[in-house]
Amino acid sequence: MADVKAESRFTKKDFRGVFWRSFTLLGSMNFERMEALGFLYAIMPLLRKIYKDKPEKLKEAMHRHMAAFNMTVAPSPFVMGISTAMEESVNDDPDFDPASINAIKVSLMGPLSGIGDTFFWGIFRILACALAIGFAQEGNVLAPFILLLVFNVPNFVTRWITLKLGYEKGSALLTDMMATGKMQLFTHCAGIIGAMSIGCMIAMWVSISCPLQFTISGSEIIIQDYLDQIMPKLLPIAFTMGIFACVKKKWKVTYIIAGIVIVGFILGILGVVAM
Amino acid sequence: MSVVQAILIALVAAVSRSEGDWLGECKLREPIVTGFLVGLILGDVKTGLMIGAALQLMWMGAVGIGPTAQLDIGIGGTIGTAIAITTNTGAETAILFGVPVAVIMQFLNTLLMSAYSGVMLRVDKKIDQLDFKGINRCHYFCGICTFLAYFLPTFFVMYFGNGVTEKIVSNMPAWMNSGLGGVAALLPCLGFALLLNIIMEKRLIPYFILGFIPAAYVGFDLTMVAIGAMAVAVAAIIFMLRSDRPVAVAAAGTDDEWED
Repeated sequence: MADVKAESRFTKKDFRGVFWRSFTLLGSMNFERMEALGFLYAIMPLLRKIYKDKPEKLKEAMHRHMAAFNMTVAPSPFVMGISTAMEESVNDDPDFDPASINAIKVSLMGPLSGIGDTFFWGIFRILACALAIGFAQEGNVLAPFILLLVFNVPNFVTRWITLKLGYEKGSALLTDMMATGKMQLFTHCAGIIGAMSIGCMIAMWVSISCPLQFTISGSEIIIQDYLDQIMPKLLPIAFTMGIFACVKKKWKVTYIIAGIVIVGFILGILGVVAM
Repeated sequence: MSVVQAILIALVAAVSRSEGDWLGECKLREPIVTGFLVGLILGDVKTGLMIGAALQLMWMGAVGIGPTAQLDIGIGGTIGTAIAITTNTGAETAILFGVPVAVIMQFLNTLLMSAYSGVMLRVDKKIDQLDFKGINRCHYFCGICTFLAYFLPTFFVMYFGNGVTEKIVSNMPAWMNSGLGGVAALLPCLGFALLLNIIMEKRLIPYFILGFIPAAYVGFDLTMVAIGAMAVAVAAIIFMLRSDRPVAVAAAGTDDEWED
């Protein structure tokens, strides 16, 4: 049904509009509704087309999308696509329950953010930075361009593909994935990639060492050597796990940052930790 | 520093923040990018890039997840690099100024995000009036405020703070340096802890260890690519194995098999 509508109601230009507007999702990020206004801003032209001569329905729809919404930005066009398809159903089919739209949006926030954060913050960003660092250290002007290119190609492609996928196949795909448990399986498999990459990244990119050394009866004792004998990268993994435990206990991130700054500063002055 | 240079650097600081809001987190904020731009403005691209690389290493784990406070590495990197280049010093100076700025600006962010909650009430009214332009204006208004909140302070620090920063750099005690080194060493952990918080469940612990151990013990450049490929392969195999048995998986799903 959605495919037929795609030709009748919206043009390619409309979708390009949503695509570009989706880049401003965080533009009015706030604690109350989070990305809601950005979301509404992105799909408002489509809503206006759907509810052309029905101002009351349009108001209802716009209020619907001002409900709190928050997710990783890159795959968010998927939700925009599926919401648009569902709004069309609301308009075309009087039996369609509009409340299901926000139910779907809420249920997608968690899984899609988890997958999106894993890939964009965990993998693409780190990969882009890691590739660029070598060039930057040599003062090569290619570095920033490599970084931006490696990150943004997946960023742009994901937005465009998920928007189309969400609009054209969203509901069907969702019903199928929920019914067969594929959604959980997909999230789990993305989790496997994420867990392995993060494990690897902690070892590669967190550098904490202990510069302490003593001289006892003529022989030098370097603490870091002992730590390395227990396990290489012991300090990075220990500190990360410690902070992870604090995050798990739902401490406020602001307090954790303050704690890290204070503890890091004191340990740094005492010469216990360094980069 | 000339007025034009100060304006351009303030522009880099503001754009490196607004990038996340208006340009879809396209990563202009990364220190390598801001370092390059600041270097270009101050006429020393090479130093800018090298300082950017040092800051990038430190902020490898600086991620922005959810509506929580994170380190504002865009403005931190911009101001840090700019001061390091103008005072003719190195990455230590960039860390000295960049880290506090990144932390402090995060508190400003929290303030802005609270203030914008009030704008949302106005949007509700505009919807009832069907004032589409008004709704757009609310969206743009927040963006302009954020832009100015980053542009103006950076400009003032750059243009009027020259003498002060130079004095700080030349009189900096050694303990200050090692203290900030400690902060710079510990901060990356937070980003990875936040990432872990999103995906970690008990059944993923073996995979986490599987990723960490080879990188920790071998640690050559190819490890990340190799482990990444391995991770994709493992995930694909498990996906295929499980999706061949849709009934079992569906049952497992209701049994909470995938969630802890």
